[in-house]
Amino acid sequence: MFEPLRPWQWLLVAITLAALAALPLLSSNSYVLHVLILSMIFGIFASAWNLVTGFAGLKTFGHHAFFGIGAYSSALVALHSGLSPWLTIWIAALIATVAGLFIGLPILRIRSMPHVAIVTLGFAEIVRITISNLQSITRGELGLWGIPPFESFTLPVLGEMKFTPADKAGYYYLILVLLVFSTGLITLLMRSKSGLALVAMRDAEDAAESLGVNLTRHKLLVFGVSAFLVGLAGAFFGHYIGILTPSAAVGPDLMILVIAMALVGGLGTLSGPLVGALVLTCVVELLRDLNDLRLLIYGAIIITVVMFLPKGLATLGPLVRRRITYLRAPTTSPAKHL
Amino acid sequence: MSNMPSKTLLRVDDITMAFGGIVAVANLSLTVETGEILALIGPNGAGKTTTFHVIAGVHKPTAGRIFFDGQDITFYRPDGRCRSGVARTFQITQPFQELTVEENVMVGSLAQHRSIADARKDARRYVEMVGLSDRANVLAKGLSTGQRKRLEMARAMATRPKLLLLDEVTGGVDQKSIPGLIELVKQLRREGLTLVIIEHNMRVINELADRAIFMNRGQKMAEGTPEDVMQRPEVVELYLGEELQHG
Repeated sequence: MFEPLRPWQWLLVAITLAALAALPLLSSNSYVLHVLILSMIFGIFASAWNLVTGFAGLKTFGHHAFFGIGAYSSALVALHSGLSPWLTIWIAALIATVAGLFIGLPILRIRSMPHVAIVTLGFAEIVRITISNLQSITRGELGLWGIPPFESFTLPVLGEMKFTPADKAGYYYLILVLLVFSTGLITLLMRSKSGLALVAMRDAEDAAESLGVNLTRHKLLVFGVSAFLVGLAGAFFGHYIGILTPSAAVGPDLMILVIAMALVGGLGTLSGPLVGALVLTCVVELLRDLNDLRLLIYGAIIITVVMFLPKGLATLGPLVRRRITYLRAPTTSPAKHL
Repeated sequence: MSNMPSKTLLRVDDITMAFGGIVAVANLSLTVETGEILALIGPNGAGKTTTFHVIAGVHKPTAGRIFFDGQDITFYRPDGRCRSGVARTFQITQPFQELTVEENVMVGSLAQHRSIADARKDARRYVEMVGLSDRANVLAKGLSTGQRKRLEMARAMATRPKLLLLDEVTGGVDQKSIPGLIELVKQLRREGLTLVIIEHNMRVINELADRAIFMNRGQKMAEGTPEDVMQRPEVVELYLGEELQHG
């Protein structure tokens, strides 16, 4: 991970980006775009959670709090102050960052990971119940609606970017830009000296500290960055969907979904959470017609991947490559037995 | 080193380390002179590793002070002590499993270097110094115990310490690897490093240490040259006798 990128890796990134950018030009099917928009929202969420848990080794189960804080902050600020969502999503991300640092501080002192998991999960429940009960502001489970959408604008070559339920191309490009921003930020962080320190902290905290790694600073850094990105994804989600309820925006099942995405894709890898988010979001949509059987098959897929590819789908590539080189290599073994 | 002016690098001043009601180290004072190798010996549970932890900053002492290179470092965290020039290895090795050998050492180098590229260059020197060049790009989890001990030394050396604390360098290592590790420690000292070692292997102590401190039940019982300390009746009775009986 700390080696410079090889040309074929750059090429792969460029091809993926070009394909994603070209997609709305090929198909304006708003359902396909909707599924991809959701995949990218979850892609940012899962990558940011993976930054804290997969790379830094802090096992937090409360990141949906930041998603909800981001979603509600942006929606409420836009509703009440009349500021543009283009601005409020960043304000919301900063509010989520402050919340991240706030919960990051007590976590610094806890070295036992099961306790970190419980504290963060508890924190998220507090956030959910608070939002649920502040009905005068958030309308609770009735749902906060009338969230202003992004304003349209005109681009020189592509024409007008509209943000309406019917035309999803604008949302698609916006979340694609946010996804590239988020992935770029995480990649830069992980390839810097802080990235090395974070992995060292995950693998052996005491040893890292004895080698001069400031644990406090790195834990706060990673919590802040992660909460910022999750808050941003949440803020976008609110303006995109147009209605927020505590169970949809801060429910624990949201966190479980994101954990499943990161695990299926590959914990502690850069591409894993993105792959996991895409695959699981698509699977949920494809299975939608099966009603009750849906959850059964969904669960079976997750179990199968975790059983046979414990390090996630992101490790499938290297595995296949090894297998091919193995098959191509001249075998020195004696003739096969029948 | 006789030709060097004697200068105290580390002074541990009357430290006590209690965990609840259990006193692991009681009123311990010791000094380490620049350029020497001091050995801490004693039976299991004597408080040797606790003393290390207090010097390295893992535990804040219940009472007492620690001075290093003229500074009071009693309340420094481990990373702060590393920047002051104290490095250590662990009794049970703690490699960064998912990082390569070279990247493991880079973590130490980053204490001195700003960029990843510089740290990598620097790390290669230390990987070579401990004889792990052929394993530089292997993940640390693939190393043998002896290699892990070498990795820990390289990592600690990369922080450019003035004082290195080695916790049982030869513990759990096969007999064939011991001479190589002894040679490595000697080399570190030739490069001007001051060392404190915890060691159970008497041959290793005799070969390396200038001075030895015998600890039992958290207290200093004897101090002197290794030969001298090992002939003291209480040391023979409390420690060596036990070793002879069991070993």
